Amino acid sequence: MANISRRHVLAGLGTAGFASSMSAMSGLGFNNAWAADTGGYKAMICIFLKGGMDGADTILPYDQASYNQLRSVRTGLFNSYNFNSPTSTRNRANLLRMSLDNAGDFGGREFALPQELAPLHSMFEGGDLAVVGNVGPLIEPTPRPAMDNGTAILPKRLFSHNDQQSTWMSFGVEGVSRGWGGRFMDQVVASAPNQNRIFSAISATSNDVFLAGEDVTQFKIGSGGIQEPSLYSNRGILGGNDGDDAAREKIRAFLAKRDFQSRSLFEQDITNSTAKAVENTEQFAAAQANATPLSTVFPGTRLASQMRSVAETIKIRQFLNVSRQMFYTSTGGYDTHSNQANSIAGRHEELAGAIAAFRDAMIEIGEWDNVVVFTASDFGRTVIDNGNGTDHGWGGHHFVAGGQVQGRRLYGDVPFADVDSNEYTRSRGRLLPTTSVEQYAATMGSWFGLNTSELRTALPNLNNFNTADLGFMGGAGT
Amino acid sequence: MSIFRTRSAAAILAASLMVAACGGGGGDSSVPPGTPTAGGGSGGSSGGGTPAEPASKIDSELEATRFLARATFGGSKAEIASLNGRDAADWLASEFSKSTSLTLPTLTAQPRDSEGRLQRDIVDTLYWDHMIGSNDQVRQRMAFALSQIVVYSDSADNDQLMRAYYQDIMIRNAFGNFRDLLEEVTYSPAMGEWLTYRGNRKGDERSGRMPDENYAREILQLFSIGLIELNMDGSPKLDAQGQQIETYTNDDIEGLARVFTGLSWAGDEFNDRPQDGDIRQMVMWPEQHSELDKTFLGTTIPAGTEGNETIRIALDTIFEHPNVAPFISRLLIQRFTQSDPSPAYIQNVATAFETGRFTAEGGRSFGTGQRGDLRATLAAVLLEPTTFAEPAANGTITTGKVREPILRFTHWARAFDVSGLNAYNERRLSDTRSSDNSLGQQAFSSPSVFNFYRPGYIAPGTNAGDQNITVPEFQIVNESSSVGYLNFMTDFAFDRASQRNRDIDTYTPDYSDELALVDDPTALVDHLDNLLTGGRMSDIEKADIVDIIDTIEIRTNSAENTAADQEDMVQAAVTLVLNSPSYAVIY
Repeated sequence: MANISRRHVLAGLGTAGFASSMSAMSGLGFNNAWAADTGGYKAMICIFLKGGMDGADTILPYDQASYNQLRSVRTGLFNSYNFNSPTSTRNRANLLRMSLDNAGDFGGREFALPQELAPLHSMFEGGDLAVVGNVGPLIEPTPRPAMDNGTAILPKRLFSHNDQQSTWMSFGVEGVSRGWGGRFMDQVVASAPNQNRIFSAISATSNDVFLAGEDVTQFKIGSGGIQEPSLYSNRGILGGNDGDDAAREKIRAFLAKRDFQSRSLFEQDITNSTAKAVENTEQFAAAQANATPLSTVFPGTRLASQMRSVAETIKIRQFLNVSRQMFYTSTGGYDTHSNQANSIAGRHEELAGAIAAFRDAMIEIGEWDNVVVFTASDFGRTVIDNGNGTDHGWGGHHFVAGGQVQGRRLYGDVPFADVDSNEYTRSRGRLLPTTSVEQYAATMGSWFGLNTSELRTALPNLNNFNTADLGFMGGAGT
Repeated sequence: MSIFRTRSAAAILAASLMVAACGGGGGDSSVPPGTPTAGGGSGGSSGGGTPAEPASKIDSELEATRFLARATFGGSKAEIASLNGRDAADWLASEFSKSTSLTLPTLTAQPRDSEGRLQRDIVDTLYWDHMIGSNDQVRQRMAFALSQIVVYSDSADNDQLMRAYYQDIMIRNAFGNFRDLLEEVTYSPAMGEWLTYRGNRKGDERSGRMPDENYAREILQLFSIGLIELNMDGSPKLDAQGQQIETYTNDDIEGLARVFTGLSWAGDEFNDRPQDGDIRQMVMWPEQHSELDKTFLGTTIPAGTEGNETIRIALDTIFEHPNVAPFISRLLIQRFTQSDPSPAYIQNVATAFETGRFTAEGGRSFGTGQRGDLRATLAAVLLEPTTFAEPAANGTITTGKVREPILRFTHWARAFDVSGLNAYNERRLSDTRSSDNSLGQQAFSSPSVFNFYRPGYIAPGTNAGDQNITVPEFQIVNESSSVGYLNFMTDFAFDRASQRNRDIDTYTPDYSDELALVDDPTALVDHLDNLLTGGRMSDIEKADIVDIIDTIEIRTNSAENTAADQEDMVQAAVTLVLNSPSYAVIY
């Protein structure tokens, strides 16, 4: 049964893929048929929300029936919000209703954001932000019966933090060595030989797999601007004698050296990473010397300082010699097993404040139409609470923002909280995703300039789904 | 090549003897020149040839340095000298019998402000002093290793007592039994708060409320058995289709979540936090404990079983799982000796864990014979013969461990016997978590329960990664961390790190032995190589550093200027060795 439907889907997509590659061939000439479009400048910025953001406490139901239903299946959580209090952020009267341009897709169901996300709400209303509902890792379309009877092929190690983070980033459990951010950039540099590889994939946070490609590896920017090694760059350390400048030069050469003829593989790797640090930070600092500071003020949060570093990097892009860039940022605190009512508000404020400031900065430097910011997270959480928190789920809801985003719309769905329905797994109201991470990625990838074959190379299960473009970037699916 | 290396090793040894001779102090242990046969042309170290001598016999200061880098927070000059010539098994036995130094008593003796609060960051800074200054080094190093497996992380000012109490659970149980450790952790208020089961209530049919699943999941995934079934050598078991076998399903988690209900502080009410709640084990509140049956890992605890009894059965069930030995063994090996442990090594350690006994080559026996004995397990980790063997004369070396930044800092502090162990006075030691301008690591302060790095991490874009070799520590190495580490170490090596009170001498290195060598830069660098890398620096590394410090101008216009420039020279040499690739890797 599952096999038949899969063959169906594959056949359908095969035709579409062929057609689009034909049109590419006729439009651009044979040599360019498989090359990414790297004209102009575009950047993608991933915000990874570590711990698993509770989608049901982020995009709330607004129409009375849907709101009542959610409240009835997570009584403990709603009580911990004192939802009846006139000032409660989860009192329906205080929710920020979203005016959907595609409201007709959802019958009478309506949706809202909590006040902590007010900056995102105004971006939504202004058309700069869209919501993609119920996204998660999938190998193939997975109806609940196929899951229950074991015929569905499921992603491995569902509900495990590290493995689902890895799956979101790389489509495999922890240990997979290439992420789709890096793979996208592999395609870009293959088509744009002049693109500076070092500054193609930039992390403002930890070394997660997202940015790891075959040819592209990440460059790490600090949150407080670029630091250089003080031992040779700070003249106050070795003193100012005549000979000391020569010593400083030799120290720099020592730290930048690529080969000490060590037989230890680990030592060779450390040698390379130190040398890369010296060279790349120098290059970056030289580019940054051209820049004037942004006048946009960012909040003082962990995520906002990363987003500020991203904005500052985009500002100097012409000196970094890049036409496409992939950025990775992250923040934590979303593993709200307990005390969710107190903790998620601050996280949401951090998220909304960082995205809004980033939008302002991009408008300031005229790049808002060239960027897309998107969220990702380990998983959504159980709709059924544990008293004052929620546990690990699967599908979750996400934000995409940018000048080219077809905003003010909900793509996919934010399902009604009937936890016994087939939209949820067998227990505790864990949403079964209806949109795969790969479709989510492919939609942005097309806008980024990757063609169908390049997307399929980077996204191994994309073929199993009936559309590779959800439409939120103004592509085919709209 | 190997002959050359032997000769240079001998030269290093001579240099270090010279230091011992003129350095005074460490006098009588005056270093029998222990034939540097290890690493000799024959290729094998003590491991292969003479049956009389076990591999763990330490035959040179170089071997002593390397072993102490694996087993402690870094060897001091005195320890290196006194270990040389001994069997590491004997040395380890004496470490096992040292008295235990705890952290809570020191913390509770700290001054409070008018509202009874401890100073900010005091628990973090005291722990630096504790790691570096404690005499029971192996116990403390084991506690640090365990803290990276059974991860608790918190730096909140009002949780400092809870944190110290938890640190002491690691320290007290470091040479105990893993089953006892699991139980103390489970009842600790720190873990209860961190993984949110303190105050976890039984499910409620009327509201639909279910128990919090957090601890149930992480105790299985991270603290005991892991996600997939393992053979004793750590390799995955495969089913008939060649697929890995998951150790549990989500149903097991839901079953086990019922177990960890009803625990909270011993206050007047379930959520009441008494004054000393943070430093006492949590207690069972029977009315909040699920009375339903609990099914997980093939066991069913009958409905109505008393709460503490339920937890006892659950922990026994988890502990008895055959994965525990290989799972925990691999993690421990990675914390001490090998970033990517071999299957045979894992099997040796897992066997010691399983049988509760380890017999060293020299005949000395470790452990009580009870499964889960951590003395036997640790002895198997540290006395593994292959960790003493010199690498083959040719070819790439993939053994050894990349040392985490904390260990690289503590080794410097111990090697130069820093005076004024008062980390609270050192602003930089209050919070070393940032990778941009600090170590990117702080004990008991990892970003999540998944530790600073993952045991299966394979670094993209590295030679090790291309060969599928796991190096967890590479997960926190990148451009900004490399510069952050360099600048952090520079500040300490040059004794210029910012202090709260500049009139107090804190974390001041003693470079007197090194200053005595400034007239002979080659001898100085050889000596540092011996002391800090166990003689692993390549000729190029050493020649480059010699050239650099030779370039530093020594003014002769006044004795004061000369002394200052000579100090610069030593500090630069030390900093460069601390930033050499050989210092980062121990093998």
